[in-house]
Amino acid sequence: MSPLFKAEGIVKRFGERVLFDAASLELETGNGYVLVGPNGSGKTTLLRVLAGLDSAQEGKLVYRAREAAAAGPYPEPWRREIVYAHQQPYLFRTSLADNVEYGLARRGMARERRAALAAEALAWAGLAARHGVPPHRLSGGEKQRAALARAKVLNPVLLLLDEPTANLDGEARAQVLELVRALITESHTVLIATHDPEIIRLAILTRLRVSAQRIEVAE
Amino acid sequence: MIKRIVFALATLLCAATAQAQTVRMATTTSTANTGLLDYLLPKFRSRTGITVQYVAVGTGAALKIGEQGDADVVLVHDRESEEKFVAAGFGVKRRDVMYNDFVIVGAPADPAQIRGMKDAAEALKRIRAAGSAFVSRGDRSGTHLRELQLWRAAGVEPRWEGYYLSIGQGMGTALIMAYEKRGYTLTDRGTYLAYLKKTDLQIMVEGDSRLNNPYSVIAVNPSRHPSINHAGATRLIDWLTSDEGQRAIAGYKVGGAQLFFPSAK
Amino acid sequence: MDLLEPTRQAFALLFSGDRELWGIIWLSLWVSVAALALLAPLCVPLGFVVARIHFPGRRALVVAMQGFLSFPTVVVGLVLYLVLSRRGPLGAFELLFTPAAILIGYMVIALPILMVFTVAAVQGADSRIYETARCLGARPLRAMGTTLWEVRFAVTAGFVNAFGRVVSEVGCALLVGGNIAGLTRNIPTAIALETSKGEFAYGIALGFVLMVIAVGVNVALAWLQGEGGLE
Ligand SMILES: Nc1ncnc2c1ncn2[C@@H]1O[C@H](COP(=O)(O)OP(=O)(O)OP(=O)(O)O)[C@@H](O)[C@H]1O
Ligand SMILES: [Mg+2]
Repeated sequence: MSPLFKAEGIVKRFGERVLFDAASLELETGNGYVLVGPNGSGKTTLLRVLAGLDSAQEGKLVYRAREAAAAGPYPEPWRREIVYAHQQPYLFRTSLADNVEYGLARRGMARERRAALAAEALAWAGLAARHGVPPHRLSGGEKQRAALARAKVLNPVLLLLDEPTANLDGEARAQVLELVRALITESHTVLIATHDPEIIRLAILTRLRVSAQRIEVAE
Repeated sequence: MIKRIVFALATLLCAATAQAQTVRMATTTSTANTGLLDYLLPKFRSRTGITVQYVAVGTGAALKIGEQGDADVVLVHDRESEEKFVAAGFGVKRRDVMYNDFVIVGAPADPAQIRGMKDAAEALKRIRAAGSAFVSRGDRSGTHLRELQLWRAAGVEPRWEGYYLSIGQGMGTALIMAYEKRGYTLTDRGTYLAYLKKTDLQIMVEGDSRLNNPYSVIAVNPSRHPSINHAGATRLIDWLTSDEGQRAIAGYKVGGAQLFFPSAK
Repeated sequence: MDLLEPTRQAFALLFSGDRELWGIIWLSLWVSVAALALLAPLCVPLGFVVARIHFPGRRALVVAMQGFLSFPTVVVGLVLYLVLSRRGPLGAFELLFTPAAILIGYMVIALPILMVFTVAAVQGADSRIYETARCLGARPLRAMGTTLWEVRFAVTAGFVNAFGRVVSEVGCALLVGGNIAGLTRNIPTAIALETSKGEFAYGIALGFVLMVIAVGVNVALAWLQGEGGLE
């Protein structure tokens, strides 16, 4: 069976600085992956290239047997199925519900159905009670949970999470970890860039490591 | 340091006293737009050493400026308001200086068909009936007041209604607007001639006795505004009405045509 | 000079609903608003593109726009006058001394203001807004709309600024409008010319209205921004 998503020969430079030199990776349907590597090794950059937020200089991306040059443009239909969540999520200054409904609305879903799904997702993230709070007034952990709800509600085929537990500790981190765990088991395919040992330790995850400007499968 | 400031202030004061050699005149746009003043005043200056600073506005505004003592002398053209001005004690020593005449000018196509008419009021009636654009100074100038008298004589009340353009501006602007709108306007002959190259307007009506345009010079009453330069104003009036001044006025020509005719008695 | 009497007359005029006076006010308002409304669909997306897309000459363009912010409106009027005059290149349209001429002048004056404010607003916007919208499945146009909506107060500031500038400028409106009563006479040109006629009450009444309008829109913006909870 061919992999769900493939990146081949990715070359990514920022000026003189070479982050990836002919890096490749394969993601199989239904699996969970964790992407590790030292600070500045290029984890965020890689996720952004996979999500079509940045382009690379060379290489190609293959998703469900469709091919796209990593130098862009990124195929528009992929954006409906591949969802990236920032390390520090941005919540629109509308309402919490609007944030969660945003992607559903872009998919042309009717208002009532959107509202129902959003309420469900917010309850899943433990934010039902925070419904009326302006999004920008939420705490860091709450924002992260809202962002996870906003991604989950779209039921993406490939979910790219960038350090979901970074900058969080104690109760907040535990709550987000709980959601991440649930996402890994409930979702189709997940790729998580992280330094968090608890996420890395999860047995169900395949470990990918950025090393020497390539991506290798770690033991 | 303080010495320096005192010195600077003293210099300023001296400059201010030197200003006493200037006369402030409020006049109408027609005397300025035709270039007459820029021709006459240097002659007056070389004779007397007095500089005349003038503001060119409508007759109404010029008289208002005089009334408030913001000018030493006014050079205007509207008999009725001049007489009121003197009667109210705002001005003294009114003297006739010169005259020219008004003409009704219009676009060459002459949409209201008034070319060659001798009766100015009748011509206005026709313009109104034809619904042609008519540009009015609308600034209480002598020209504007004369225009209003003519409308009264025509028995027509001039109002916007899509054709009567009251612009509140000078003669030059009115001529250009009449050209742009392919309409008519009432103008003094001098400004019309001075603007000949800037428009394609042609003289339609002239020679009606109601189109005579006499100019007077009036000194602002010094007993109301003691600080004004009454001596300078008097010298200007005397010079304008002297043989020399009158000859100078008669000698001013634009494109070979005399614009103003001396009338001092 | 007596200030009280003309001021009293001014308010009497305003409250008596003087038709000519309110006609002048109405003209000022509708021409200003129409100019901005016509520009908005052009300037806002264009400002967005200039802010986000790197193309050759972009910096020069932004610098030029900045420069045009303080371009003398009377020069705009002069150039437009020459262009629209019957002897000018666009003379055939006979637009000089019509409200349309003032409208065009206002658009020229407002264009760089709207552009510069929109560019600044979008450049100041968090880049994650656009990215988040895109990642959640928004097409570029929608993501642009979402971004602009998130920074709407900064964009609105441009409109308020441009409105304040055109509604109170006298040079261009006088030159290309001609201050024709009932047609192109607006608040600033009326103030300029009524005062020169010695009609102080009229000038004061209109000056008061102009002040209320110009200050009012800024106050409204500041108040809205407070509500917007920008921190
Ligand atoms: N737009 C950019 N221009 C120049 N350099 C950049 C840009 N974006 C990222 N970099 C550089 O690329 C390198 C990799 O950054 P990236 O954020 O991908 O690392 P990371 O592995 O996610 O690190 P961390 O673990 O700290 O999140 C860093 O050195 C960063 O400074
Ligand atoms: Mg990172």
